[in-house]
Parts: sequence; C-alpha cells; structure tokens
Amino acid sequence: MRVRTTLIWAAAAVIAGFFVLLGYFIDHEVIHSIRLVLIRWVVLLAAVALFLGLFNLLSVHWSKVSEQVTGWPYSAVLILAFLVTLILGLVFGPDNPVSLGMFNFIQLPIEASLMALLSVSLAVAGFRLVSRRRDLFSLVFVGTALLVLLGTGPWLIGGESQFYILVGQVRNWLVQVWASGGARGIVLGVALGAVLTGLRILLAVDRPYGD
Amino acid sequence: MSDVRCPMCSASNPEDAEVCASCGARLKPLVADLPSPEGPTDWEEKPEPTEGEEPEEEDWLRRVRAQAESELPDEEAPEEAPEDAEAPDWLGRLREVEIPGEEGPPEGEVPDWLTAFAEEAVVEGEPTEAPEPDWLERVRDQEAPEAEEDIGEAEQEEEDWLARLKVEEEQPPEEVFEEVPSLEPDVDWPTDEAEAKLEELLEPEPEIEEPELAPIPPESLELEPAEVPEGEFPEAEMPLEVEEPEIPLAPEPMDLELPKIPKIERPEAELPPEIEEEVEPRPSEIEEAAEPIEEGPPQVPALIFEEGDEVPSEDAPDIDLDAIELPDWLAELKQTAPPEKEPVEGVPLDIAPATLPSWLEAMRPIDTFRSVVEIEAEEEQIVESAGPLAGLRGALMAEPVVAMPRAASVSAARLEVTERQYAQAELLHRMVEEEDRELPEVRAERARLPLVRWVIGVLLILAVALPTFLSLQSGEGFPLPILRPRDLDPLFDLVETASIDQPVLVVFDYPPGYYGELDAVASPLLEHILSRGLRVATLSTQPTGPALAEGLLNRLSENGQGYIHLGYLSGGPTAVQLFVASPREATPKGFNLPEELERQTSWQSPILEGVSRLSDFSMVVVITAGPESARTWAEQAYPWKGDTPLVMVLSTGAEPLVRPYYEALEPQVDAILTSLPAAVAYEQLIGSRGGAHARWNGFGAGMFSVELILFAGAIYGVAGWFLSMRRG
Amino acid sequence: MIGIDYVGIAVLLLFLGLLLGFAAFGRRWPMVLRPLRGFDELNTAIERAVEAGERVHLSLGTGSVIGSDSAPALAGLAMLSRVARATTMSDKPVVVTAGDGAMALLAQDTLRAAYERAKASERFKPISGRMLGPTPFSYVASLPILISTEDVSVHLLTGSFGAEGALAADFGEHQEAFVLAGTDDTQSQALLYVTAEYPLIGEEIFAGGAYLNVGPFHLASLRAQDMVRVLIVVLILIGTILSTLGVSL
Repeated sequence: MRVRTTLIWAAAAVIAGFFVLLGYFIDHEVIHSIRLVLIRWVVLLAAVALFLGLFNLLSVHWSKVSEQVTGWPYSAVLILAFLVTLILGLVFGPDNPVSLGMFNFIQLPIEASLMALLSVSLAVAGFRLVSRRRDLFSLVFVGTALLVLLGTGPWLIGGESQFYILVGQVRNWLVQVWASGGARGIVLGVALGAVLTGLRILLAVDRPYGD
Repeated sequence: MSDVRCPMCSASNPEDAEVCASCGARLKPLVADLPSPEGPTDWEEKPEPTEGEEPEEEDWLRRVRAQAESELPDEEAPEEAPEDAEAPDWLGRLREVEIPGEEGPPEGEVPDWLTAFAEEAVVEGEPTEAPEPDWLERVRDQEAPEAEEDIGEAEQEEEDWLARLKVEEEQPPEEVFEEVPSLEPDVDWPTDEAEAKLEELLEPEPEIEEPELAPIPPESLELEPAEVPEGEFPEAEMPLEVEEPEIPLAPEPMDLELPKIPKIERPEAELPPEIEEEVEPRPSEIEEAAEPIEEGPPQVPALIFEEGDEVPSEDAPDIDLDAIELPDWLAELKQTAPPEKEPVEGVPLDIAPATLPSWLEAMRPIDTFRSVVEIEAEEEQIVESAGPLAGLRGALMAEPVVAMPRAASVSAARLEVTERQYAQAELLHRMVEEEDRELPEVRAERARLPLVRWVIGVLLILAVALPTFLSLQSGEGFPLPILRPRDLDPLFDLVETASIDQPVLVVFDYPPGYYGELDAVASPLLEHILSRGLRVATLSTQPTGPALAEGLLNRLSENGQGYIHLGYLSGGPTAVQLFVASPREATPKGFNLPEELERQTSWQSPILEGVSRLSDFSMVVVITAGPESARTWAEQAYPWKGDTPLVMVLSTGAEPLVRPYYEALEPQVDAILTSLPAAVAYEQLIGSRGGAHARWNGFGAGMFSVELILFAGAIYGVAGWFLSMRRG
Repeated sequence: MIGIDYVGIAVLLLFLGLLLGFAAFGRRWPMVLRPLRGFDELNTAIERAVEAGERVHLSLGTGSVIGSDSAPALAGLAMLSRVARATTMSDKPVVVTAGDGAMALLAQDTLRAAYERAKASERFKPISGRMLGPTPFSYVASLPILISTEDVSVHLLTGSFGAEGALAADFGEHQEAFVLAGTDDTQSQALLYVTAEYPLIGEEIFAGGAYLNVGPFHLASLRAQDMVRVLIVVLILIGTILSTLGVSL
C-alpha cells in the first residue's frame, strides 16, 4: 500500500503534539519524559531553523547583488556586515569585547533609534487619526491617550496640584480597570483562537500538514 | 473542323460530338444512316442517295408504317428506342413527360382522329384524311401547277426537311408528345400511297384564291377573322406561303411535323426578309427532324394543342386537311418561323415557324431553353472586353444594374448625422488628436517632504534633547513626582528582605529597542539589589539579552563583580519551562564568564553555589517589554518558585496585562515596577539620582509635546469633520 | 500516582467536539459573518495589484514557530494559501516574509503547495518566502527596502508583532499601500489601530481563514470560538455575582 510521505510526516507531528499536550493534563513520569525529550528536540530544531533562516536571508540578498536589482548596494552591505559579524563572532566568541563592542555601538543604537522612530510615527499617526478616521472610536482613542499621557507624565505647571493628582488617579483607573479588562477580554479571545488554530494543526486539517 | 452548334442551346461543340457539352442535347441523330451534322444540312446540299441506298428520310417512313401495324406506342416506347440506336432520346423522353394541369395532348393518349387515321390507313390501306388547314390549301393552290412536276423532287425535299424537322424537334425533347407518336401514321404507307396522299393534300383548294396569297392590302389585315376567308391568312402571317408556294407535301404526319421546328433552315433566296432574320442554320435540328422516328413521324404543329384549344374528337375518322383549323399559334409561328432550308428547286416551301405550347415549353430543360433567343452570328457577337470573360464571344451581358453606372441619389450625398453620433465623432476626433499631440515632458515628481512628519519629529527631538542638556546644567526641569506609587513599597520591602545567601535571578527578556526605557526603569531596582550585596545571576530568552545584561550590570556594579551570566536560553516558553524545572540542565554554559571560570560553566561560579532549582534563588526579577514574556514567566515559574518572590519590571504598555497577575487573590507576581515615574520614585526612595532622574525632564518634555500634538490633531480632525459636514 | 487535570481535559474535549461537530454538521446552519472592512476590501486590493502588476506582501510577524506567538503566524499561513492562489499567475506573485527561520520555511512550503495546485510549479521561487531579520527591529528595518523595490501595493501583516508592527504598518502607509494588519498582542493592536488602514482587533486575525473561505474547519473554528466565548462570559458573570454575594468557589 502506497502511503504519501506527507501523511507520514503529518502523523508524526500529530503524535508528538498529542504527547506534549497530554503532558499538560496528565502528571505521569513516562509522559513527562517523552514530553521533555520532544521539547528538547524542538529547541534543537528551532536553532537549526534559525540557521536555515539566516541561509535564506543570505541567498535572497546574494541573488539581489548578483542580479543587480534595485537596492542591491544595501544587500551588499548586509552581506558584508553579516560575514564580518559571523567571522568575528566565530573567531572571538559572542562575549568577546569585540563582539560586545559591535553590539553596543552598532546594533543597540540602531534598534534604539528605530524605537524612537516608532514614537515619532505614532505621534504622527495620532495627529492624523481623527482626520483620517472620522468616527467616535477615534475620538475616544485620542481622548483616552491624552488622559493617560497627562496622568503619566509630569506637568510643567501644576505638577503638584490636586488636579494633577486627580488626573493621575483617573489615569490609573483607566489603565488598571478599563484597559486591563478590555485587554483581558482580547487576550481571552486570542487564546481561544490560538487553541483552535493549534487544534486544527494537530488534527492535520490546516497548514502546514493539511490544506 | 468546324464546330457544330447545338440546336438547343446554340453552344459550340466539336464536330464529332454526339451530345452537346453544355445541355446534353443530341447533336447527332440516332439514326445510323443519317448524314452527319456537318453533312448536307442545306437543302441545296443534300447528298444524292447512292444506288441501292434508300434515302434516310424514307427509312423513317418505313418504320412508321411498321409501327402503325403494331399497337399504339406506350410509355415504353422510349425504351424501344435502343432497339433502334438511332431513335432520338428526346422523343422518348417527351413521351414520358407528364404535364399536369395543362391542356395538351394527354400523355399516352392519341388523338382519336389520328388513331382513326392510322386504323383507316391500315384497314383501307389508304391514308386517312384530315381537314386540311387553309394555309395548306392555299399553298397547294399556288403550287399546284408545279406540284406535279416536282413531286418527285418534292418527295425528296420532303424527306429532307422532314429529316431536318426531326432534328429541330430535338430542341425541346419534352416537346415530343405522348400523343405525337400517335401522329405517326400507323400505316405502312407504300411510296405510292404516300404520293397519292401527297396529291390529295396538294389538291388545289378552290377556296384559296391566289390573290389572297398576294400581298394583302393593309386594310385587309384589319379585317376581322370572320371576314377572312377560311384558310386565308394575311400575307404577314404567312410569309412562308409566298416563298414556298408549294407545301412539301408528304403524308399528313409530315405536315404536322413542321411547326415543331422553331427554326428551320431555309434557302435564303426564297425566304422573306423577316424570316431570313430569324434563320439560323440548324443542321442538327433538321437532321434530327429528318430522323426517322420509330414511334412516329415528326410532330405536327396543328396537333400541338395550346391551352384552350380543343382536342379533336376521337371520332374524326379521317384527316381532312380542309377541315383542319389552323390554330392561332400556328399563324404566329409562321410569322416567327426561321427560314427553312432552301427547298428543292422550283418547289418553294411554305412552312410555318414552329412555336411551342406552354406545356411543351415547360418540359424543356430550363438551362437549355432558348426558344426565342436570337443568337447572333458569331462574327456579329460582341467580344467581351472586361472582366474574366474578356475576349470571349457570346458572353451574357452584365446586368444593367451592375454594368451601368448610376448616378448617386441625392440622399446618399447628404450625410445625416444625429446629435449623439456627432458627439461621439467629436470625442473620437479629440482622442485621435490627443494621440498626435506631443505631450510636454513630465518631469519626475520630486519627492515631497512629509512636512507633518518632519515637524513632529523635530519637535519631539527638541523636546527631548533640550531639557536633557539644560537640566544637566541647571538642575531645573519638570517637578519630580511627589507621590509614590502604591506598588513601590512592596517591591522595596522584598528587596530589603531578600536573603543575601541566595543569588537573585534577573531575566533580561527585552529586545535592544526597549533598552532606553527598561534600562532606566530597571536601574534603580538593580542598583538597590547590588547595594545590598545580593549576588545576581542573569538569564535571557533573547539572543541579545546577555549583552544587554552585561552592559547594564557592568555600569551599575562596582568593579564588575557580583554577577554572573547564565547566557542565552533558546527555545522560548518551552525553554522557560525547562529552566524552571531544571535550571542547571537548561543552561549548561554561561556568557562572558570571568577568567577564573574559563573552560568551566557558570554553575561552577561561587555566585550560583547551592543553586539547583528555581526556588533556590532569593528572588526572580523578570525585565520584559512584552506582556507575553511576563505571562510566560509568571505562569511557568509559579509552580516551581515556591516562596521565591517573582518581580516584574515592565514597560508601560505591558502593565495592564500583567497587573492582574499581581492583583489576583493568589498573585503569581509579587511585585511590579513599571514606567519611568515609578523608577524616579524608586530612586528617590533609595536616595539615588540615577538614569531615571537623568531622563525625567526629557521624558516630561516629550510627553508634553506628544500631548500637544494629539490635542492639535484632534482639534484639526474635528474641525475638518464639521466643515465637511457643513459643506454637505 | 497519576495526576490528571480533569478540567483541562474536559475543556480540551469540549473544543475538539465543537470543532469536529461544526465541521461535520455546520452546513445545516448557515453562518453569518459580521462584515470586516479589511477582508471585504482585501479581494479588491489583490485584484487591483495583480492587474497593475504590483506585488502583494504578507508578513508572518516576528514570532517564532515554537511558543504562543506562533498561533497568529499559523493563521497567517492559512490566509497565505488563499492569497498565493490568487497571485500565482501574476507577473509579481506574492512575497512572504518572517522574522523567524522556521516560519520562513513554512511560508515557502505553503507557496510551493499553492503553485502546485495551480499547475505552475515552475513559477515558484524559494526566495518568495524569506526571513528578513532574526530580531524584530532588524526585520522591520528591512521592510522599507522590500516595499519600495518590490512595488508592494498590498501590505498584509498577519503574525505576532510587538511595537515594531506599528513601524511596519507605517512603512506601508507611507508607500500608500493597502495595509491590513493584525496580531495577537494587545499592545501592538493598539498601535496598529492608529497606524494601519485596516486593523484587525482582538481575535479577528484568527477569523481570516473563515472570511477568505480557506476551508470548512476555519468556519467551524470560528463557531467553536463564539460558543466557548459565550460560555466564558456566562461563567464570568456567574462568578462575579457569586463573588459579589460572598460565595467563595
């Protein structure tokens, strides 16, 4: 009897997932052991997948450089930086001052700058929100954001007044009651969706095992 | 070798052709001993019969007689024709044709008079008499003086023209009549009898007066038919009478055959002019006419009944030429009959032109029917000068509508255009014009500066940078928070009561991007921990976590001592689960280990001495930017931490989702520290002015700027909203 | 001694039963989906992109394939199968990016299957599914280059994002692309609400498969979610009332 190989992989995945899931509900040594073994394999596979992703990244940018498509210089810089970092890291190690220096003086500032860019983008988006999306929820959103900001940040004037204290308390009430409650509801819904997505995959009726 | 003209369609055919290539009519008679088509067709050129060879015209007589003895021919007569290979097909076909609804000799039915004639001829041996047509009488009168002299020659002539008549009758094969066979005398007339018959026929009719044959004055033509003496016809109607005063007498059937031949070749000299015009040499027709017909003699026009004509009764015993009424069509036929072949010398022929009744013409093949087509002589035919038939003679003229140019009608010259059509035409015209028009070169649009983005960005930069520089110099700025957050005191107490013998586990679970905020928020706590002499072990589930930890702790600690890095814990939440269950197995190696621990693991450091489980730590501090990581640690660590407090240092955005863990009845999180104000307050509590204080003014200015921006945006949006609503 | 979490198993069986039951018998009860502006406009946007010779970009987020942040990315894979099917024959087929290597491999597998289904296996290119960067901000830093050089006009963010998701959406808006963004993180959802043209709030990202008619199990999942959500609401209300009344559970 010919069996498609995809079915075999799907069966293996389903069985492994079943054991891991069962380990959450049944406290048994055998099940725990199997679960631990499977989880360790997952960790190894995740690390291997990271390497595959890096290889994919290199191949994409290499093809851009070789075909000289638009923006190929940036791809060339990326490949160069990748290789230099890899070589230095392999040679000196990740906790070497050289590697740490590259991290502290290149990666850290860049990522912090991107975060700062995010704040500018959010400010611009907040400025345009009401004019772009003319509905009540946009107004409520902006009003709430103003209240939280006012209650969180210092005031240049009247920072020690009762009004400032009142605004602070309103801010806490908004965040800890309304925002927290709404976020909880969203998290519950997301959790339900995540559970059913996982179940669909474990039943092999959804990608990546099924269609 | 000259071509032979088809008697039916006038098409040219080769000499040796037996049937016409275009219409299929026989060109050669079926009688074997008939002269060839190219043979003597002219009356004058009749070959002399050789000795012992009976004239071919006499053969048919013999056959007629023989057949007269037999039964009346039936529809199978044409099939008998093959017995005699010379029998014309047309005759047989004519017999088979039925003409429903039309009057005429009924199919298969022989006129009684002919039957009677035949029988009488058989019984009595004498030719039956039929009423002689008047014209015949007149002819006889005219030719009477010469008749006797030329009887012998006349006989010869008769047979010639009879033969020709037979040929001409080939023209409408269907015209051969069923009834005609009965025309043939069933009498096997001996020559003597034929002669006798001829004499009878040629008896001068006293009624026919010569003067009547003379050119009749016009007024006589206006006479009513009743006034015209019987048998008398105006000369115009009987041109043949003038030229052929003597009827080539033959037994009755022979006479009857004459009208069937529409065009008989006649000697030009003896034919009246009007007849000469109609003459067309049709030797084939004549030949076929002379062809002896097994079924009977050639057709007699007098017996070809048109519509309305009365069928002679069957009781008519004899053929009385005197009693024969010449039908009108016969009179007409005489007018249009082509000239006959020149009769025998001295024997003028007076044969009426043959006309076909409608029912007979209907049987004619349509494509070959050219009963009254006047075919010009080949030399007189127009030569086609254009088109695919250029150079050919005899081509049909083009339709007048096609060939003749027409002047355009007035309406065609004036174009009527509706408004809609005009508009569409204009549109099309404009579109075409636009295609031709050279468009001005469109310069590439310069990238427009996003003004709002730049303004806001510059504003924020200035708002954050300026106060930072200014406050460093003046120390003034935004007022410090006067109220301590209520979450700060429990945290402070936890740190104060943490066991010094056990290390504190600090998890750096945030990306480098959150370094600015979380470094500032976590600094007072770590400073407090380090100031109490607590040893710190760091861990991270992010690849960049150990580096972040090293940077922060290196800045906060004295001489870089008092902490150890367990390294990077790969695997996400799964790895956390592994770690909380078995920390030593989850992190076998460390990160940036001191020199004394070279080639060793971090667990061999004295900082981690005696630690094998999560609960062996005095405190677990998780510094994270995302609620997911905080929840993971809170949920995974809770079953394994025991009494070890779990502290969360959070970004402001993660507080709403983590606080429930802290404020639950059975909290899984023992303390939280979130946002910069709480960090400033903590620093105030521990009496330090660290990174939080350094960021306070910039933080305040930035916050104030963002508040202004949001407020302005809201006002701008609402104003635009109202304005657009007003505009409708 | 074996410890068994009966409640957990019961909840698991409840989910399984609802999913299988709705998948098997759901056709008897037609499902009405509330209109989601993003999914309503998505088809038109993809068609326009295909006709204009522009590209569709789908991001699976910066989460890893292991952990809870893989769920929205897996939901994004289901949407990818649909989107890929619509763009296989385009001059510029869909390109998928991820911040995790394993997720990039899954994206390649989904694309390959879509091309095979469309009988156009020769048109599949492995680089159509790629990892832009191992960290969230390095991933986002590569997006502007991708959006501008690949002529992206449809920008789909369906995966696990942090704050960098707002940057990703902002880059798409700056390029005047059709931006549909959804994630599982609530903080990021708030940021996406401001920056994206068509944000997906809450668990709407998990409804993408049902809205795009990926399969019957997606509709069944949606139904099961709704049912359990109602059940949870009822239980919360009951617990609140009981707590208010002083009854401890």
